[in-house]
Amino acid sequence: MSNEQKYLSESEFDALVRELIASGKRVVAPVAAEDDLEPQADYRAVSDPAKIVLDGPLPRRSLKEFFLPATEALLRWRLKKGDVALDETEADYPETVVVGASPCDAAALPTVDRVMDWDYRDEPWFGRREATVVISRACPGRDSSCFCPVVGLAPDSTRGADVMLYPSGEDAGGYLVEVITERGAALVAAHSKHFQAPREPAGVARLREEARARVDGNSSARPDEIRRWLDKNFEHELWDRLAERCHGCGACAAVCPTCHCFDIVDEPEGGDSGTRRRNWDTCQAAVFTLHGSGHNPRETQNARFRQRVLHKFAIYPERFGEILCTGCGRCVRACPGGMDLPEILEELGRLATSSQSAGGTP
Amino acid sequence: MSEATATRTPPAVDAFEPKIIAFVCNWCTYTGADLAGTSRLQMAPNVRIIRLPCTGRIDPLFIVKAFERGADGVIVSGCHPGDCHYTAGNFHARRRFAVAREIMGFLGIDLDRVTFSWVSASEGGKWSEVVNETTARVRKLGPFNTYRDLVAGS
Amino acid sequence: MQELVDLTSKLLQNGDVNVVIGYEEGPRGVRPVVAATPDDCRRLIFDHRAVHNLATYLSPRRKHLRVRGRAAVVLKGCDAAAVATLLRERQLKRDDVVLIGVRCGGVYRTTTAEGALSADNVADRCGGCALREPTLVDHLVGDLPPEPPTAGQRAARIAALEELSPAERFDYWRRSLADCVRCNACRAVCPLCVCERCVADKTDPQWIESSPHLRGNFSWHMARALHLAGRCVDCGECQRACPAGIPLTVINGKVGQVMGARFGFRPTDDPDAPAPIGTFDPDDSQEFIR
Repeated sequence: MSNEQKYLSESEFDALVRELIASGKRVVAPVAAEDDLEPQADYRAVSDPAKIVLDGPLPRRSLKEFFLPATEALLRWRLKKGDVALDETEADYPETVVVGASPCDAAALPTVDRVMDWDYRDEPWFGRREATVVISRACPGRDSSCFCPVVGLAPDSTRGADVMLYPSGEDAGGYLVEVITERGAALVAAHSKHFQAPREPAGVARLREEARARVDGNSSARPDEIRRWLDKNFEHELWDRLAERCHGCGACAAVCPTCHCFDIVDEPEGGDSGTRRRNWDTCQAAVFTLHGSGHNPRETQNARFRQRVLHKFAIYPERFGEILCTGCGRCVRACPGGMDLPEILEELGRLATSSQSAGGTP
Repeated sequence: MSEATATRTPPAVDAFEPKIIAFVCNWCTYTGADLAGTSRLQMAPNVRIIRLPCTGRIDPLFIVKAFERGADGVIVSGCHPGDCHYTAGNFHARRRFAVAREIMGFLGIDLDRVTFSWVSASEGGKWSEVVNETTARVRKLGPFNTYRDLVAGS
Repeated sequence: MQELVDLTSKLLQNGDVNVVIGYEEGPRGVRPVVAATPDDCRRLIFDHRAVHNLATYLSPRRKHLRVRGRAAVVLKGCDAAAVATLLRERQLKRDDVVLIGVRCGGVYRTTTAEGALSADNVADRCGGCALREPTLVDHLVGDLPPEPPTAGQRAARIAALEELSPAERFDYWRRSLADCVRCNACRAVCPLCVCERCVADKTDPQWIESSPHLRGNFSWHMARALHLAGRCVDCGECQRACPAGIPLTVINGKVGQVMGARFGFRPTDDPDAPAPIGTFDPDDSQEFIR
């Protein structure tokens, strides 16, 4: 670790959050889900540091809604005597500090940046990206649905984070702080009184090791091999049966930190005005590819699920050099039909290995 | 309020005047409302009528759409049971309205904003009462912009 | 459950069906499986974790399953009630499917629950269930387990909401529905959302705004509840699928109460029982109509 380091005690953490809120910044952090029978967490804008639960369950939806809201107005139109007047909606990019991002959520941000800055620069996305500082907290390694090592990440990955907090492992709590980016350094400098001189608490290394051990064995899939296999096997018989239990509900895409597809809709309000909005969409819905003619090139759920796997593990890597998945496992946990991406990746890995050995030297 | 006082003291410009949408069937209530008019019965001018073939054609979503577009109250009215021009349209509608009404109430829409009534072609007087009562009730509740403006900020 | 394995293997071997839709132990809990060989059938299980309503796989919308041919499906009583509704609405032909009922002692509310069934982990619909031995079946397997406990949380929440003023209830749902992202998972998993084209997908005219802002969300959730009134079998799949944790079964439960109180309706696995919406009684209560 060659980055600048600090130490942040539990009480100074609270004081820092209070100071951020008082300075008019929006602080987004995991909090216990209101009104739910099971223990759940959500990322929410908070007004009180006491509400923040950094050691709770993984928030059920990722951070993406703070950068790509589920719905946002792009412009308003008014009909005026045969003419149309367009009103741009005012940019709303509040200064935000995310406190306690899961590393798998933070890592998704630079990945999605690639497509958002591809054929045009997506202003709302980058408007919010640039207004946001991400403070991640090293993950304890959640459960058997986690597969971040498969996509080259780990419970303590700093990708996408501006500042990283490592729990001290001490009874009194507190964090080892690693400053990752200039934006992170600026935030730490601006609130320097809360940070103490660097020291590495004894528990940090142990916790990081334990976290890695918790998820490392979950899958042995190799995305590079899988991608080579995917490139050649669009019509493989595996796809005919793969998604039989899948409902096509798209809950996976809603909770996914990297799924970013959207739909543009015009919503009329009365006869002569309305709003153009962009809303989340998902390739798992039949209407996603339904043509006006009635033809649907992805007629069945099997074809739609193949698209999900291909986009994440072949198409996006081909175009942008990155896998469109951070291994957070939310799609597995959210799926009402038991679709299991790490299991599917294992299966694809087996097929890739056997086709490689079949095509290799006798 | 007599006609003379109504013309002499128009309401203050900023006074709240509820906007009420009435979904009525063609055969009974619309004709009843017409009778109210030709009989020169005095009625609150707050109600805009939308005529449909039958209460059976009135999807509860119409009520929701009216609120979406800024209505403060809604009237749904048609033929008395047994009088339906299509024999049973209002019997079917009655079941749907009963459920829709309770769902709306459960989700927090004040049911005093919605009036359901049976008004026959001969009941011009009843129609004017329904209109006046609903208008008075909704005026007391105040505007329902809360529903229209649910979209704000997103 | 050996009885289930033997029965389904025989059905496949005899050529009675092409596939069996049942439950298996997945890598992370119980999940649905489509078994196509007697060997696959050895994986079939049934226990308190068999939360899923497999009747949803019989919906005509599941084109990728229809191509597999004639199916047998494993059903709890509540799931059989969904099949009855599909039959009543001519969405399914009785001869196209083999129904395997399982005597049921209740299921958990979530697939991740553990331990003995209790008031805290049992599904809302289980307490007082009248369909523990489904009758709409071709085969009935298992011994009848003891009656499940009753979960009280949902009824308590409905009652608490009814105590509130309309404005307070509106605020409650405003907070709750604000999280809806309109992924339509509730619709996709529902065994009875069978429309080829949903009213919520129509744009001209657009009755339901498709955007996940609160106004569109209220409209959608009202329409969903209304279109399922007297059809919903309270399987709770919509809530289980919801990535936003919206208490959809609270709405469904309220609608169920209304249908029961007004029209004497309870979910039933009798496909010939009349549907409460689409039929009427000339003497229906009309206390709300002036």
